[in-house]
Amino acid sequence: MRESMPLLLVEALDPSDREATHRHIESCAACAEEWAACRDTWKLMGELPVVEVPARVRQQFLSQVLRAPAEGNVVPLHRRREMRWFAQAAAVVLLVGGSYYAGHRASPVVLAPTDAKIVSASPSFSIAETRVLPAADVSPTIEGRPNIDNVQFVDADPRDGQIGLSFDITSHVTVTGSPAEKSMVRLLSYVLASEDRMKPSRSRAIDWVRDTYSAPNNADPEIADAMAKILRNEQHAGVRIRAVETLKTLPSKGDNPRDALIEALRSDPNPAVRIKAVDALAKLAGSGAQLDGTAVDTLRQKAAQDDENLYVRVKAAEALSKIRPQ
Amino acid sequence: MTPSKGREPGEMKHLSDQDLMRIVQAGDYSPASEIYDRYSGRIYNFAFRFLKNAEAAEDATQEVFVKMMRHANQFHGDAKLSTWLFSITANWCRDHLRKADNKAKEAEDVLISLPTPPELAPDRTLERRETEQRVQRALQLLTPEQREAILLSRYQGLSYAEIAQVAGCSEGAVKTRVFRAMETLKKALTGEASGGDRCLNVVR
Repeated sequence: MRESMPLLLVEALDPSDREATHRHIESCAACAEEWAACRDTWKLMGELPVVEVPARVRQQFLSQVLRAPAEGNVVPLHRRREMRWFAQAAAVVLLVGGSYYAGHRASPVVLAPTDAKIVSASPSFSIAETRVLPAADVSPTIEGRPNIDNVQFVDADPRDGQIGLSFDITSHVTVTGSPAEKSMVRLLSYVLASEDRMKPSRSRAIDWVRDTYSAPNNADPEIADAMAKILRNEQHAGVRIRAVETLKTLPSKGDNPRDALIEALRSDPNPAVRIKAVDALAKLAGSGAQLDGTAVDTLRQKAAQDDENLYVRVKAAEALSKIRPQ
Repeated sequence: MTPSKGREPGEMKHLSDQDLMRIVQAGDYSPASEIYDRYSGRIYNFAFRFLKNAEAAEDATQEVFVKMMRHANQFHGDAKLSTWLFSITANWCRDHLRKADNKAKEAEDVLISLPTPPELAPDRTLERRETEQRVQRALQLLTPEQREAILLSRYQGLSYAEIAQVAGCSEGAVKTRVFRAMETLKKALTGEASGGDRCLNVVR
């Protein structure tokens, strides 16, 4: 009997079973009680509101799909490992496009349309309009605010010291090179600062950047500035948390990232972000030969702020007790 | 991209799902916005409640519709378009849950366990918000299979046969999942635990 009740709720029993079930419930106290609980549960579940889809999802979907070729023309470029199959085709690129790039290193090659094409060696795939560029051949100058879509971060082999950034501009482009190369840093900073362009997930992208740029030899202030911008402007708390965690681990620090962390601790509406900011500021405050006075003062204010979330206050107090100049 | 073949946006509104998909299958992507407008709300809400994560739900919504367009030829008119879309979404969500690393889960758990900032829902009464949170927490007590089944049944109005198609299981399995989900939810939301005076009557 009880197994039939969910079906009764959605009116999925056939008429004779429905009638028989109702008759039984009316005559059985245990089932009547059970049925009342079922209906109450069903009703309470209806209290969940319908959530609106953010408008940007529609824009992103349409811009992606109306630019993309139909199935059969799509070439997976998400992993460089997967691109090895067209190594032969790449040889054609060198012949067709190599001389073009070699002569235009000083101009923003990546961000301007060119007539260079990759010609597939495989007759079953068309990879026209797909390009792979070494970062060394790309100018670090980004002119204006070019529209970049479908951004993917690639690191096929973490041991080879090379990373890649794949995106659509006038064609599908993958730029590969060392994380320290200025062109790579500029492109990443631009993409990180343009929230709509980071797909499929900004959080995963930020994690990837953190893992890549936490190595001391990859330290770059522009990456830290891009994270600070995300922390200030991003609407998703989960993404802001990732930005704080990244700022905590990046080796290069400056006033701008420090100020962004202080602002987050003072005024971010989400307590989880403020807790993470406590950790990051505590690490930052004690990382130099001298204590960072502003960071320490902000932590003190938080520890003593009556209307602050208790969790944040306790964290700030704990952090203060552990800060020691190195 | 294949350009629109001179169709007006308003014209799409009068076409059935099957007709829109036939246009896409012919290589014309102009119905993209109409299909999105018809189903994005349901897809997003399902993913949002399934994953309890707004950002992942956005990713799911975008990727599901992109996949739908790119793999339009795999849609056969014998199923509803909504069922097919929910199948893609459920696959995406299951995959997402599998891939979610522990770190991400920890961060989300912190977010969920902390109080919701009042400015996020200024127009809702405290009591209503508490009920919402109770329901959302109760849904997280379910296994992914149970949550998928109950979300599709309660909030999306799919029949058990359609849920079985989405979940790739039998209707009997759906019935069991929904029943078990209801048992858990009932206990969490009303405090009523089944047991005690249990009636073993079978209606036939």
